[in-house]
Amino acid sequence: MVATLAAAMLALASQRQTDTTFAVPAGASLSVNNFGGGITVHAWNENRVKVHGDVGRRGRVEVSLVGSTVVVKTGSREGAPSVIDLDITVPQSMGLTLGGTYADITVEGVQGPISGETVNGEINVRGGKGIITLHSIQGSVTLADASGRIEVNSVNEAIELSHVTGEIKVETTNGDVTLTGIQSSSVDAGTINGDVVYEGTVTDGGSYSFGSHNGDISVSIPERANVTITVATANGDIDASFPLPMTNTAGKHRKTFKLGTGSARMELESFQGDIELRRPQEMRDRIEEHKHDKDHDNDNDNDHDRDRDTSFSFHFDAGAWNYAARYAKAYAPKYAKAYAPRYARTYARMYARTYKQSYRSTDTTSH
Amino acid sequence: MNDIWTNRLSEYLDGELDSTERAALDAHLATCGACFATLGELKRVVAQAQALQDSQPDKDLWPSIRARLTPEHGSARVEVARRFTFSVPQLLAASIALVLMSGGAVGIAMHQQPSNTPAPVAARLHERGMATAASWTGTTDAAIADLQASLTQNESRLDTTTVRIVRQNLAIIDRAIAEARAALQKDPGNAYLNLHLADTMRRKVELLRRVNDIAAQS
Repeated sequence: MVATLAAAMLALASQRQTDTTFAVPAGASLSVNNFGGGITVHAWNENRVKVHGDVGRRGRVEVSLVGSTVVVKTGSREGAPSVIDLDITVPQSMGLTLGGTYADITVEGVQGPISGETVNGEINVRGGKGIITLHSIQGSVTLADASGRIEVNSVNEAIELSHVTGEIKVETTNGDVTLTGIQSSSVDAGTINGDVVYEGTVTDGGSYSFGSHNGDISVSIPERANVTITVATANGDIDASFPLPMTNTAGKHRKTFKLGTGSARMELESFQGDIELRRPQEMRDRIEEHKHDKDHDNDNDNDHDRDRDTSFSFHFDAGAWNYAARYAKAYAPKYAKAYAPRYARTYARMYARTYKQSYRSTDTTSH
Repeated sequence: MNDIWTNRLSEYLDGELDSTERAALDAHLATCGACFATLGELKRVVAQAQALQDSQPDKDLWPSIRARLTPEHGSARVEVARRFTFSVPQLLAASIALVLMSGGAVGIAMHQQPSNTPAPVAARLHERGMATAASWTGTTDAAIADLQASLTQNESRLDTTTVRIVRQNLAIIDRAIAEARAALQKDPGNAYLNLHLADTMRRKVELLRRVNDIAAQS
């Protein structure tokens, strides 16, 4: 059954903003599809949904009820797709399916299942309960204060999870993975070109897997953890800030250590990078230090952003070309700054090893 | 499309969802073509698996399995976490096959071009038995080639930024694959390197599959 909500067809050419609030049945879910712009969802303690949209001159927002799902779609009255910022307020337990192409997705305080998918955009979610899947190709993904079955994916950016409980699967290709304050008995996190950091519980009988091809892996191990740790690296070093009783060495690349009863299983694998095992407090201190450095970098970024904003001229109606140009201009300095340290570190490590090896071989032949 | 229901389709098919979840997914299937197509593909894979001929093992393994299952000292059954041990080739095959089989739906989404989809590759994997590490890399390469051909054909549907980013990331994965292959050549029996190569190739398959999926929806 498809019932279009009365007064919810919002296509107001004369206004640049739309606003509508309507009651929804208990258990209703929300589905949003916004080609470009922002999708921001907040929660409140009412059984009503409020949709606010900055639509520009050509944009339009359609709201309908399909079964028990509130469907919000954006479009353009003519020509290229419009860039529309949506701000939606929903009942706290509402399930969300949010999608877009050039859309940044932000969710704050919702306590239902969340699915978020964008191609070029960031995803930032605080809250969520149940099945939570967040996917972006070109954009970082952060998730905080969530619980349930979590699957987070990016391709070209970092992933950060903090204070998350449940079954966790996280994967990116070109970015770091940082997991802090995690409570889980099942974590699977990996990247190809980036570091992996895990600070969280190691539960008896649990299963933990952390992998990278080109980055370091740092994991916190609580003092009384019962875990069998298998560590594998082709070209990196293994370092622990506490004694590791080795139980098995399977080849030169793979070592197994058993702590306590060893009931949990943990696999740490990095092809090029180092593997570090630390105590939780030590790890938390390092993460704080890293955050502090990052905030300092961001402050510098913001200074540059302010400089940029003064000369910023952008018209939504000029279409996708202007939109792409705006993003290229805005993000190029940011990415240059973000990539420089990452690649510098990778190449420094690679060259250090090469020189170390050639130094060793020279040293051996000279004796 | 990856929505909240995509990962529940297998449970749906196996009858493992409770009645509320099942009803909700039934309603979702009525409106989501991607999930409906994926479900159809899953059904096809299950049907193929059920049609496979049982073959007798060379040696009757049951007596030794039973001996291991029966406690020698007459102790009561002890609850232990289930652990399965697989050989490296088994793990590699399972890992790649799972990705390829779940990627079958892409074929339906991409204009029904069965010759360019990974589904026949998955079928070929079954036919060949996937017994050795030498065979899985070849078949995975074939699957990757199929998916890359699909992407080349459909990337005009994506914007240039996305195509550039995807290519950059495929290059990163390719570099990782090349490094893992080089290390494996020096140490062919190394379990970690075998698994690492398999996992990196799986990532490439998944990225290609995902981008093809996005192109199909554009």
